[in-house]
Amino acid sequence: MLKPILLVEDDKRDLELTLIALERSQLANEVVVLRDGAQALEYLHRQGEYSERDEGNPAVILLDLKLPKVTGLEVLQEVRGDAALRSIPVVMLTSSQEESDVLRSYELGVNAYVVKPVAFDRFVSAIAELGVFWAVLNEPPPGSLKAARKHE
Amino acid sequence: MPIATTATIAESRVIEPPQVDLSSCDLEPIRVPGSIQPHGRLLVLEPESLALVAWSENWPDAHLNAMPALLGARRMPVLLPGGSPVSLGTVEVGGELFDASAHRSERHLIVEFEAALPPAGNEAPIYTLGRVFLPQLQEADTLVRLAALAAREMKRLTGFGRCLVYRFDEAGHGEVLAEEIEPGYDSYIGHHFPASDIPQQARALYLVNHFRLIADANYQPVRLRAADAALTASDIDLSQAQLRSVSPIHLEYMRNMGTLASMSVSIVIDGRLWGLISCHDHAPRFLDTGTRLACEHLGQLLSLQIQSKETNGEVAERLELRQLTLQIVSHLAESDATLQHLVSEASLMLRVMRATGAAVVLDDEVWSVGDVPERAQVQDLASWIAGLGVEVYDSDALAAHFAPAEAFAGTAAGVLAISISQVHRHLILWFRPEIVRTVRWAGDPHKPMSAHGGRMHPRLSFTSWVEHIRGRSLPWSAAEAGAASELRQALIGVVLRRAEELAAVATELGRANKELEAFSYTVSHDLRAPMRHIAGYVDLVAQTEGRQLSERAHRYLGHVKDAAAFAGQMVDALLDFSRMGRAALKQRPVDTASLVDGLVRELTRLEPQRAIEWQIDAALPTLYADPLLLQVAVRNLLANAVKYSRTRHPARIAVRAVHDALGDGLEVQDNGVGFQMKYADKLFGVFQRLHQAEEFEGTGIGLANVKRIVERHGGTVRAVGEVDAGACFGFILPRWDPEQAAAAAPAANGEGHA
Repeated sequence: MLKPILLVEDDKRDLELTLIALERSQLANEVVVLRDGAQALEYLHRQGEYSERDEGNPAVILLDLKLPKVTGLEVLQEVRGDAALRSIPVVMLTSSQEESDVLRSYELGVNAYVVKPVAFDRFVSAIAELGVFWAVLNEPPPGSLKAARKHE
Repeated sequence: MPIATTATIAESRVIEPPQVDLSSCDLEPIRVPGSIQPHGRLLVLEPESLALVAWSENWPDAHLNAMPALLGARRMPVLLPGGSPVSLGTVEVGGELFDASAHRSERHLIVEFEAALPPAGNEAPIYTLGRVFLPQLQEADTLVRLAALAAREMKRLTGFGRCLVYRFDEAGHGEVLAEEIEPGYDSYIGHHFPASDIPQQARALYLVNHFRLIADANYQPVRLRAADAALTASDIDLSQAQLRSVSPIHLEYMRNMGTLASMSVSIVIDGRLWGLISCHDHAPRFLDTGTRLACEHLGQLLSLQIQSKETNGEVAERLELRQLTLQIVSHLAESDATLQHLVSEASLMLRVMRATGAAVVLDDEVWSVGDVPERAQVQDLASWIAGLGVEVYDSDALAAHFAPAEAFAGTAAGVLAISISQVHRHLILWFRPEIVRTVRWAGDPHKPMSAHGGRMHPRLSFTSWVEHIRGRSLPWSAAEAGAASELRQALIGVVLRRAEELAAVATELGRANKELEAFSYTVSHDLRAPMRHIAGYVDLVAQTEGRQLSERAHRYLGHVKDAAAFAGQMVDALLDFSRMGRAALKQRPVDTASLVDGLVRELTRLEPQRAIEWQIDAALPTLYADPLLLQVAVRNLLANAVKYSRTRHPARIAVRAVHDALGDGLEVQDNGVGFQMKYADKLFGVFQRLHQAEEFEGTGIGLANVKRIVERHGGTVRAVGEVDAGACFGFILPRWDPEQAAAAAPAANGEGHA
């Protein structure tokens, strides 16, 4: 079983477009969709609504920067501060390239930062590249399932 | 206390005259001469016991013996030490009638006796003074008129041949305001008597004792005798004594002046010796007590009248000045409160200080109005005055204190200045031109004294001596200096308030900037999202439902997609533009030759099909700039040249170095479509375009970016063009100054040169 991709996105259109883009990239990973930062943290910590979910961290977190309740930066900060979550790759998705956001994200240890392109074809390819790189091609810890899949 | 009895009178001895250093008038002990004038007799008594301490030699022994008992039998008025003599009435001594008066010195009771004249009854001088002089006084409208009345009345009262009223100026010179003379007397009206004519201690005595009579300049002083051999002249203070013997130098002065009798009454205002009523006669002249009292009274009346005139005049002047000051301040308060605006209120500015020129100096800047010295001279003067560290400076003879002022005495012999700031050289100066004053001295004031064998002699000549005084302006009055000080306070108040307002504005600006940042974030984040959604869903429709759509529908969808993409570009461009304004400048020398070379290659690679003839100067300058921002600016200029010359075959683009006094820069010339010069200013505005989008694509923000970048470097942009004849865009950045760069280095982590 492949680890899921965790997509945290509040905007329903962006969510739909992102899912289409992920679909087109033909990744086999399950995509878990969460709509705000608070949900994301509950999921990651297996708390509340997600206390019953199976153990294991997602392959990658695609995190929108601007989220209700708990922002993307706050989620990132918590992930990086938690020993159990620290190694999860986090890709920040955002509409803007506001410098302060970029700077802060890197300070907090983001793995990649993507400004969503306006043109849809470029958006699709950007998401696809991300998914493929972080969910599949990224070097997994030794002995993990993905190491075998890489050579299929 | 030594007490003289009848027995001791016979053993008494003459008091030694004081040791007089006659090499200087100012050192003469005039209060303790140890002798009196011969027209009366004097007793020095122990105040409580009335015992004789000393007496004038002209007392017959027999009378003297009787005096303590005679005085003891009278009711003595209460006397306070230092007070003026009080009349004791008529006293009969040895069959003769005397007018007696008494006063207290610090140590003694002093009683003076002068031969009594028959009482004048209703015709006593003091009554005629009240009847004749007082009503006239009230009608006198000017100071000179007042002085003339006093001179006439004095003459009438005393019968002296010449009565003068004169006023002392600040240096102590006396100016004759009015005189009343008999034939045969020299006129001194309008003359000046040098300050040295009246030594310092004499002036001090005039303040204490307002009346002085020298009845005969040829008199032989009458010495004092004392019972106690140890008593010296300096123990007996005759300051208030009417009979006090005067300085031998003064008697010589009188004889040189042809005067045998002289009398003076002090005019004292606010505790200051304002002037004198001075009377002279060619012959000896005695005044009885009644006349003397009237003279003293006249002096007091005149003093009061002058004081009220001066006070009224000064109050009126101060009031007017205050009104003018208020006008100035209110004008200023309506402006942006920078003091250079004062010079725009030319007439007010000059009127307030009755000046002919004025200047506002702020560090190296000078703003002036009216007649003022050269700019550099004003700056030097301002530096000098600032260096004095005073709030208000005034001088009517500037060159005497500041030698370079001699060069501009014609416009500014006098200056009044206020210093606004301790930190900056910030002053306001008013100027008055030189007024050549003609002064008629009663004798040459420059040689008033002559020394012969170590003894001073007063001057011999009182012939008119005319002096032209140069390098002086009209003096600044106390009211004007006061108004300047008030104006200074008010201006500082205005300036401070303005500074507070500016600080508030700065805070507000900071807040607005923060809001703007938040706004641009919102724009970038929230506006970009819907553009992305439009573009995304249009693509999805085209891809998924493409086959069912008509060609027209495909075309429409194409427009929607392009519009969304273009709007996205605009948002991005606007954000870039805002970033150009906010990003910190990191300046260093940039070699523009390699910068241009790289950009030309990049542009050529982007449009390989274009045939462009590049003409690039061999020697492009090294500019001191932020390399990234400079690259953005130069790329914009080059890209514009490429874009707008694409209808030309061949397109020619020249890149040249430009230099001027301010600095160095580049210019890019093309042979493209050009523009109308009347739109040159619009070119650099945000989203200003001179071409339709179908003709030449673009967001219209490129040149705005160029301008913002160049101006943040302290440079200037320029554009020259002609329709269909090409355009030339260029910029100049300030030249690299290693010193300035070093000075700015510590701030480089912040906004640097911004």
